[in-house]
Amino acid sequence: MRWFRADLHIHSTLSPCGSLAMSPRRIVEEARKAGLSLIAICDHNAGENGVYARRLARGSPTVLMGMEIQTAEEVEVLALFPEEEPCLSLQDELYSLLPPIPNDPELFGDQVVVDEREEIVRTVEKLLLSPVPLSLAEVVARVEGRGGLVIPAHVDRVPGGLLGVLGIFPPGEWPAVEISPWAELSALWERWPELRGRVIFRSSDAHYPEEIGRAWTELYLREPSFSELLWALEGKDGRRVRPGPPMKEGK
Amino acid sequence: MRLREIAEKLGLEFLVATDPEAEVRGGYVSDLLSDVLAHAQAGDLWITHQRHLNVVAVGKLRAVSGVVFARGLRPGPETLRRAEEEGVNLLVSPSDAFETAGRLHRLLFP
Repeated sequence: MRWFRADLHIHSTLSPCGSLAMSPRRIVEEARKAGLSLIAICDHNAGENGVYARRLARGSPTVLMGMEIQTAEEVEVLALFPEEEPCLSLQDELYSLLPPIPNDPELFGDQVVVDEREEIVRTVEKLLLSPVPLSLAEVVARVEGRGGLVIPAHVDRVPGGLLGVLGIFPPGEWPAVEISPWAELSALWERWPELRGRVIFRSSDAHYPEEIGRAWTELYLREPSFSELLWALEGKDGRRVRPGPPMKEGK
Repeated sequence: MRLREIAEKLGLEFLVATDPEAEVRGGYVSDLLSDVLAHAQAGDLWITHQRHLNVVAVGKLRAVSGVVFARGLRPGPETLRRAEEEGVNLLVSPSDAFETAGRLHRLLFP
Protein backbone atom coordinates (compact mmCIF):
# COMPACT_ATOMS: atom_id res chain seq x y z
CA MET A 1 0.00 0.00 0.00
CA ARG A 2 1.05 3.58 -0.51
CA TRP A 3 -0.22 7.16 -0.45
CA PHE A 4 -2.25 8.43 -3.43
CA ARG A 5 -3.51 11.97 -4.03
CA ALA A 6 -7.23 12.41 -4.67
CA ASP A 7 -9.45 15.34 -5.63
CA LEU A 8 -13.09 14.29 -5.55
CA HIS A 9 -14.66 17.68 -6.26
CA ILE A 10 -13.90 19.22 -9.65
CA HIS A 11 -16.41 21.20 -11.73
CA SER A 12 -16.53 21.13 -15.53
CA THR A 13 -18.22 22.82 -18.50
CA LEU A 14 -21.49 21.26 -17.31
CA SER A 15 -21.62 23.61 -14.30
CA PRO A 16 -22.81 27.11 -15.27
CA CYS A 17 -20.22 28.52 -12.87
CA GLY A 18 -17.50 26.27 -14.30
CA SER A 19 -15.12 27.61 -16.95
CA LEU A 20 -15.69 26.61 -20.58
CA ALA A 21 -12.03 25.59 -20.51
CA MET A 22 -12.94 22.77 -18.08
CA SER A 23 -13.53 20.09 -20.70
CA PRO A 24 -13.08 16.45 -19.65
CA ARG A 25 -9.84 16.40 -21.67
CA ARG A 26 -8.39 19.47 -19.94
CA ILE A 27 -9.41 18.17 -16.50
CA VAL A 28 -7.65 14.84 -17.11
CA GLU A 29 -4.50 16.65 -18.35
CA GLU A 30 -4.42 19.00 -15.37
CA ALA A 31 -5.07 16.14 -12.93
CA ARG A 32 -2.09 14.22 -14.36
CA LYS A 33 0.11 17.31 -14.05
CA ALA A 34 -1.00 17.76 -10.44
CA GLY A 35 -0.08 14.15 -9.60
CA LEU A 36 -3.66 13.12 -8.80
CA SER A 37 -4.43 9.39 -8.91
CA LEU A 38 -8.16 9.54 -8.13
CA ILE A 39 -10.57 12.27 -9.20
CA ALA A 40 -14.30 12.90 -9.58
CA ILE A 41 -16.06 15.49 -11.72
CA CYS A 42 -18.93 16.74 -9.57
CA ASP A 43 -21.12 19.23 -11.40
CA HIS A 44 -24.22 20.78 -9.86
CA ASN A 45 -26.95 18.12 -9.96
CA ALA A 46 -25.24 16.53 -12.99
CA GLY A 47 -22.55 13.92 -13.66
CA GLU A 48 -22.47 13.31 -17.40
CA ASN A 49 -19.04 14.74 -18.23
CA GLY A 50 -17.53 12.02 -16.06
CA VAL A 51 -18.32 9.52 -18.82
CA TYR A 52 -15.94 11.27 -21.26
CA ALA A 53 -13.25 11.91 -18.66
CA ARG A 54 -13.18 8.16 -17.94
CA ARG A 55 -12.74 7.32 -21.63
CA LEU A 56 -9.85 9.78 -21.87
CA ALA A 57 -8.14 8.91 -18.61
CA ARG A 58 -8.22 5.10 -19.01
CA GLY A 59 -7.44 4.71 -15.34
CA SER A 60 -4.75 7.38 -15.18
CA PRO A 61 -6.09 8.93 -13.09
CA THR A 62 -9.01 6.81 -11.94
CA VAL A 63 -12.16 8.88 -12.54
CA LEU A 64 -15.18 8.21 -10.32
CA MET A 65 -18.64 9.23 -11.45
CA GLY A 66 -20.02 12.04 -9.30
CA MET A 67 -22.36 14.94 -8.77
CA GLU A 68 -22.69 17.82 -6.34
CA ILE A 69 -26.35 17.64 -5.33
CA GLN A 70 -28.10 20.62 -3.77
CA THR A 71 -30.85 19.48 -1.40
CA ALA A 72 -34.10 21.24 -0.47
CA GLU A 73 -32.38 22.63 2.65
CA GLU A 74 -29.78 24.16 0.27
CA VAL A 75 -27.09 21.83 1.61
CA GLU A 76 -24.61 20.56 -1.00
CA VAL A 77 -23.36 16.97 -0.95
CA LEU A 78 -21.02 15.04 -3.20
CA ALA A 79 -22.51 11.81 -4.53
CA LEU A 80 -19.84 9.38 -5.79
CA PHE A 81 -20.33 6.19 -7.77
CA PRO A 82 -18.01 3.50 -9.14
CA GLU A 83 -20.11 3.00 -12.29
CA GLU A 84 -21.82 5.22 -14.84
CA GLU A 85 -25.37 3.87 -14.88
CA PRO A 86 -26.39 4.60 -11.26
CA CYS A 87 -24.97 8.12 -11.49
CA LEU A 88 -26.63 8.91 -14.82
CA SER A 89 -29.99 7.46 -13.77
CA LEU A 90 -29.96 9.59 -10.63
CA GLN A 91 -28.92 12.61 -12.71
CA ASP A 92 -31.99 12.12 -14.93
CA GLU A 93 -34.23 11.66 -11.91
CA LEU A 94 -32.96 14.89 -10.33
CA TYR A 95 -33.30 16.76 -13.61
CA SER A 96 -36.98 15.85 -13.89
CA LEU A 97 -37.50 17.26 -10.38
CA LEU A 98 -35.60 20.53 -10.89
CA PRO A 99 -37.79 23.63 -11.12
CA PRO A 100 -38.53 24.69 -14.73
CA ILE A 101 -36.18 27.67 -14.62
CA PRO A 102 -34.26 27.91 -17.90
CA ASN A 103 -30.55 28.65 -17.69
CA ASP A 104 -29.57 32.09 -18.94
CA PRO A 105 -25.98 31.60 -20.15
CA GLU A 106 -25.39 35.38 -20.13
CA LEU A 107 -26.16 35.49 -16.41
CA PHE A 108 -24.99 32.13 -15.10
CA GLY A 109 -22.71 30.65 -17.75
CA ASP A 110 -23.04 27.71 -20.14
CA GLN A 111 -24.08 24.18 -19.16
CA VAL A 112 -22.62 21.91 -21.80
CA VAL A 113 -21.74 18.24 -22.08
CA VAL A 114 -18.41 17.98 -23.90
CA ASP A 115 -17.06 14.71 -25.32
CA GLU A 116 -13.55 13.32 -25.59
CA ARG A 117 -13.00 15.12 -28.94
CA GLU A 118 -13.80 18.49 -27.27
CA GLU A 119 -17.11 18.67 -29.12
CA ILE A 120 -20.36 19.82 -27.53
CA VAL A 121 -22.71 16.85 -27.17
CA ARG A 122 -25.62 18.85 -25.81
CA THR A 123 -26.64 21.93 -23.89
CA VAL A 124 -28.65 21.46 -20.69
CA GLU A 125 -31.77 23.66 -20.67
CA LYS A 126 -32.88 23.95 -17.05
CA LEU A 127 -30.70 25.87 -14.61
CA LEU A 128 -28.67 23.28 -12.68
CA LEU A 129 -27.92 25.75 -9.88
CA SER A 130 -31.30 25.15 -8.24
CA PRO A 131 -31.92 22.91 -5.23
CA VAL A 132 -33.77 19.67 -5.98
CA PRO A 133 -37.05 19.38 -4.04
CA LEU A 134 -35.74 16.44 -1.99
CA SER A 135 -34.65 16.60 1.65
CA LEU A 136 -31.08 15.80 2.60
CA ALA A 137 -32.24 12.47 4.07
CA GLU A 138 -34.04 11.61 0.83
CA VAL A 139 -31.00 12.47 -1.29
CA VAL A 140 -28.79 10.28 0.92
CA ALA A 141 -31.29 7.42 0.56
CA ARG A 142 -31.36 7.72 -3.25
CA VAL A 143 -27.57 7.82 -3.56
CA GLU A 144 -26.90 5.00 -1.11
CA GLY A 145 -29.74 2.97 -2.61
CA ARG A 146 -27.74 2.96 -5.85
CA GLY A 147 -24.51 1.92 -4.15
CA GLY A 148 -23.08 5.44 -4.03
CA LEU A 149 -21.21 7.33 -1.32
CA VAL A 150 -22.38 10.67 0.10
CA ILE A 151 -19.82 13.18 1.32
CA PRO A 152 -21.24 16.53 2.50
CA ALA A 153 -19.34 19.20 0.54
CA HIS A 154 -17.32 22.04 2.14
CA VAL A 155 -19.26 21.60 5.40
CA ASP A 156 -17.86 24.82 6.88
CA ARG A 157 -19.02 27.04 4.04
CA VAL A 158 -21.97 29.43 3.84
CA PRO A 159 -23.84 29.00 1.63
CA GLY A 160 -24.12 25.31 0.89
CA GLY A 161 -22.09 23.65 3.64
CA LEU A 162 -23.89 21.19 5.91
CA LEU A 163 -22.62 22.79 9.13
CA GLY A 164 -22.95 26.30 7.71
CA VAL A 165 -26.59 25.76 6.80
CA LEU A 166 -27.77 23.24 9.41
CA GLY A 167 -25.52 24.32 12.29
CA ILE A 168 -24.92 20.82 13.65
CA PHE A 169 -24.77 17.31 12.18
CA PRO A 170 -28.26 15.99 11.50
CA PRO A 171 -29.11 12.43 12.55
CA GLY A 172 -27.59 9.77 10.32
CA GLU A 173 -24.20 8.33 9.59
CA TRP A 174 -21.71 10.60 7.92
CA PRO A 175 -18.81 8.31 6.98
CA ALA A 176 -16.80 11.25 5.61
CA VAL A 177 -17.06 15.01 5.20
CA GLU A 178 -15.33 17.52 2.95
CA ILE A 179 -13.89 20.83 4.14
CA SER A 180 -13.18 23.97 2.11
CA PRO A 181 -9.89 24.24 0.19
CA TRP A 182 -8.66 27.07 2.44
CA ALA A 183 -10.06 25.95 5.83
CA GLU A 184 -7.65 25.47 8.75
CA LEU A 185 -8.62 22.17 10.35
CA SER A 186 -7.72 23.31 13.88
CA ALA A 187 -10.05 26.33 13.56
CA LEU A 188 -12.87 24.08 12.32
CA TRP A 189 -12.37 21.68 15.23
CA GLU A 190 -12.67 24.58 17.62
CA ARG A 191 -15.87 25.88 16.05
CA TRP A 192 -17.46 22.45 15.51
CA PRO A 193 -16.04 19.99 18.06
CA GLU A 194 -18.18 17.21 16.49
CA LEU A 195 -15.84 17.30 13.48
CA ARG A 196 -13.09 15.70 15.59
CA GLY A 197 -12.52 12.04 14.88
CA ARG A 198 -14.35 12.16 11.55
CA VAL A 199 -12.90 11.16 8.19
CA ILE A 200 -12.08 14.45 6.47
CA PHE A 201 -11.49 15.15 2.80
CA ARG A 202 -10.19 18.35 1.28
CA SER A 203 -10.83 19.05 -2.42
CA SER A 204 -10.05 21.80 -4.88
CA ASP A 205 -13.70 22.58 -5.79
CA ALA A 206 -11.97 23.76 -8.98
CA HIS A 207 -14.02 25.79 -11.49
CA TYR A 208 -10.97 26.80 -13.59
CA PRO A 209 -8.09 24.65 -14.90
CA GLU A 210 -5.48 26.43 -12.79
CA GLU A 211 -7.42 25.57 -9.64
CA ILE A 212 -6.87 21.82 -10.09
CA GLY A 213 -4.16 20.79 -7.67
CA ARG A 214 -4.69 23.67 -5.24
CA ALA A 215 -6.08 21.29 -2.62
CA TRP A 216 -6.27 17.50 -2.28
CA THR A 217 -6.71 14.51 0.01
CA GLU A 218 -4.14 11.79 0.62
CA LEU A 219 -5.34 8.19 0.67
CA TYR A 220 -3.31 5.22 1.88
CA LEU A 221 -4.53 2.41 -0.37
CA ARG A 222 -3.58 -0.63 -2.37
CA GLU A 223 -4.82 1.07 -5.56
CA PRO A 224 -6.91 4.13 -6.39
CA SER A 225 -10.42 2.65 -6.72
CA PHE A 226 -13.91 3.16 -5.32
CA SER A 227 -13.84 -0.02 -3.23
CA GLU A 228 -10.45 0.86 -1.75
CA LEU A 229 -11.82 4.32 -0.98
CA LEU A 230 -14.73 2.80 0.97
CA TRP A 231 -12.31 0.59 2.91
CA ALA A 232 -10.17 3.63 3.73
CA LEU A 233 -13.21 5.27 5.37
CA GLU A 234 -13.39 2.28 7.72
CA GLY A 235 -9.62 2.17 8.23
CA LYS A 236 -9.52 -1.40 6.96
CA ASP A 237 -6.08 -3.08 7.24
CA GLY A 238 -4.24 0.20 7.70
CA ARG A 239 -5.94 2.09 4.86
CA ARG A 240 -6.55 5.71 5.79
CA VAL A 241 -7.51 9.22 4.72
CA ARG A 242 -5.80 12.50 5.54
CA PRO A 243 -6.69 15.92 4.16
CA GLY A 244 -3.94 17.81 2.38
CA PRO A 245 -2.83 21.23 3.67
CA PRO A 246 -5.05 24.30 3.32
CA MET A 247 -4.73 26.11 0.04
CA LYS A 248 -2.30 29.01 0.00
CA GLU A 249 -3.73 32.50 -0.52
CA GLY A 250 -3.70 33.61 -4.12
CA LYS A 251 -3.24 30.11 -5.59
CA MET B 1 -45.58 39.71 25.38
CA ARG B 2 -46.84 36.13 25.57
CA LEU B 3 -46.57 33.90 22.52
CA ARG B 4 -50.27 33.02 22.62
CA GLU B 5 -51.24 36.70 22.37
CA ILE B 6 -48.81 37.33 19.52
CA ALA B 7 -50.13 34.29 17.65
CA GLU B 8 -53.69 35.62 17.93
CA LYS B 9 -52.77 39.10 16.75
CA LEU B 10 -50.63 37.95 13.83
CA GLY B 11 -52.86 35.06 12.79
CA LEU B 12 -50.18 32.42 13.48
CA GLU B 13 -51.29 28.82 13.76
CA PHE B 14 -49.68 26.62 16.45
CA LEU B 15 -48.33 23.37 15.02
CA VAL B 16 -46.70 22.42 18.31
CA ALA B 17 -47.67 24.32 21.46
CA THR B 18 -45.55 23.00 24.31
CA ASP B 19 -45.41 26.39 26.07
CA PRO B 20 -47.79 28.95 24.56
CA GLU B 21 -47.26 31.23 27.57
CA ALA B 22 -43.56 31.70 26.68
CA GLU B 23 -42.39 35.30 26.87
CA VAL B 24 -41.42 36.76 23.48
CA ARG B 25 -38.66 39.34 23.93
CA GLY B 26 -37.63 39.93 20.36
CA GLY B 27 -37.41 38.39 16.93
CA TYR B 28 -34.86 36.88 14.57
CA VAL B 29 -35.14 36.07 10.87
CA SER B 30 -32.73 33.58 9.28
CA ASP B 31 -32.63 30.36 7.29
CA LEU B 32 -29.00 29.57 8.14
CA LEU B 33 -28.90 27.56 11.33
CA SER B 34 -25.24 28.37 11.98
CA ASP B 35 -26.23 32.04 11.93
CA VAL B 36 -29.10 31.43 14.35
CA LEU B 37 -26.77 29.49 16.67
CA ALA B 38 -24.36 32.41 16.67
CA HIS B 39 -26.75 35.36 16.88
CA ALA B 40 -30.32 34.58 18.01
CA GLN B 41 -31.11 35.63 21.57
CA ALA B 42 -33.04 33.71 24.21
CA GLY B 43 -36.73 34.63 23.98
CA ASP B 44 -36.58 35.60 20.30
CA LEU B 45 -39.39 34.46 18.04
CA TRP B 46 -37.49 32.94 15.13
CA ILE B 47 -38.97 33.33 11.63
CA THR B 48 -37.60 30.98 8.97
CA HIS B 49 -38.11 29.04 5.74
CA GLN B 50 -35.79 26.23 6.86
CA ARG B 51 -37.81 23.10 7.71
CA HIS B 52 -35.03 20.61 8.39
CA LEU B 53 -35.21 18.60 11.62
CA ASN B 54 -32.21 20.52 13.00
CA VAL B 55 -34.43 23.58 13.43
CA VAL B 56 -35.73 21.99 16.63
CA ALA B 57 -32.27 21.37 18.10
CA VAL B 58 -31.06 24.85 17.21
CA GLY B 59 -34.22 26.49 18.54
CA LYS B 60 -33.81 24.63 21.81
CA LEU B 61 -30.10 25.44 22.10
CA ARG B 62 -30.81 29.15 21.64
CA ALA B 63 -33.89 28.98 23.89
CA VAL B 64 -36.06 30.82 21.38
CA SER B 65 -39.68 31.42 22.42
CA GLY B 66 -40.87 29.73 19.23
CA VAL B 67 -40.17 29.00 15.58
CA VAL B 68 -42.45 30.51 12.92
CA PHE B 69 -42.44 29.02 9.43
CA ALA B 70 -43.19 31.80 6.96
CA ARG B 71 -45.46 31.80 3.92
CA GLY B 72 -47.52 28.84 5.08
CA LEU B 73 -44.60 26.40 4.96
CA ARG B 74 -45.10 23.28 7.05
CA PRO B 75 -42.35 20.96 8.33
CA GLY B 76 -42.56 17.18 8.13
CA PRO B 77 -43.94 14.87 10.83
CA GLU B 78 -40.47 14.02 12.17
CA THR B 79 -39.81 17.70 12.95
CA LEU B 80 -43.19 18.04 14.68
CA ARG B 81 -42.59 14.93 16.77
CA ARG B 82 -39.13 16.11 17.81
CA ALA B 83 -40.46 19.55 18.74
CA GLU B 84 -43.06 17.90 21.02
CA GLU B 85 -40.31 15.86 22.68
CA GLU B 86 -37.90 18.76 23.07
CA GLY B 87 -40.51 21.31 24.08
CA VAL B 88 -40.09 23.78 21.23
CA ASN B 89 -43.11 25.81 20.08
CA LEU B 90 -43.68 25.64 16.30
CA LEU B 91 -46.02 27.95 14.44
CA VAL B 92 -46.89 28.72 10.86
CA SER B 93 -47.61 32.17 9.44
CA PRO B 94 -49.81 32.64 6.38
CA SER B 95 -47.76 35.77 5.54
CA ASP B 96 -44.26 35.96 4.15
CA ALA B 97 -41.22 36.57 6.34
CA PHE B 98 -41.11 40.33 5.67
CA GLU B 99 -44.75 40.86 6.59
CA THR B 100 -44.57 38.57 9.63
CA ALA B 101 -41.40 40.21 10.97
CA GLY B 102 -42.74 43.72 10.32
CA ARG B 103 -45.97 43.09 12.19
CA LEU B 104 -44.12 41.36 15.04
CA HIS B 105 -41.80 44.33 15.37
CA ARG B 106 -44.74 46.74 15.55
CA LEU B 107 -46.36 44.64 18.27
CA LEU B 108 -43.25 44.28 20.39
CA PHE B 109 -41.84 47.78 19.94
CA PRO B 110 -44.82 50.07 19.20
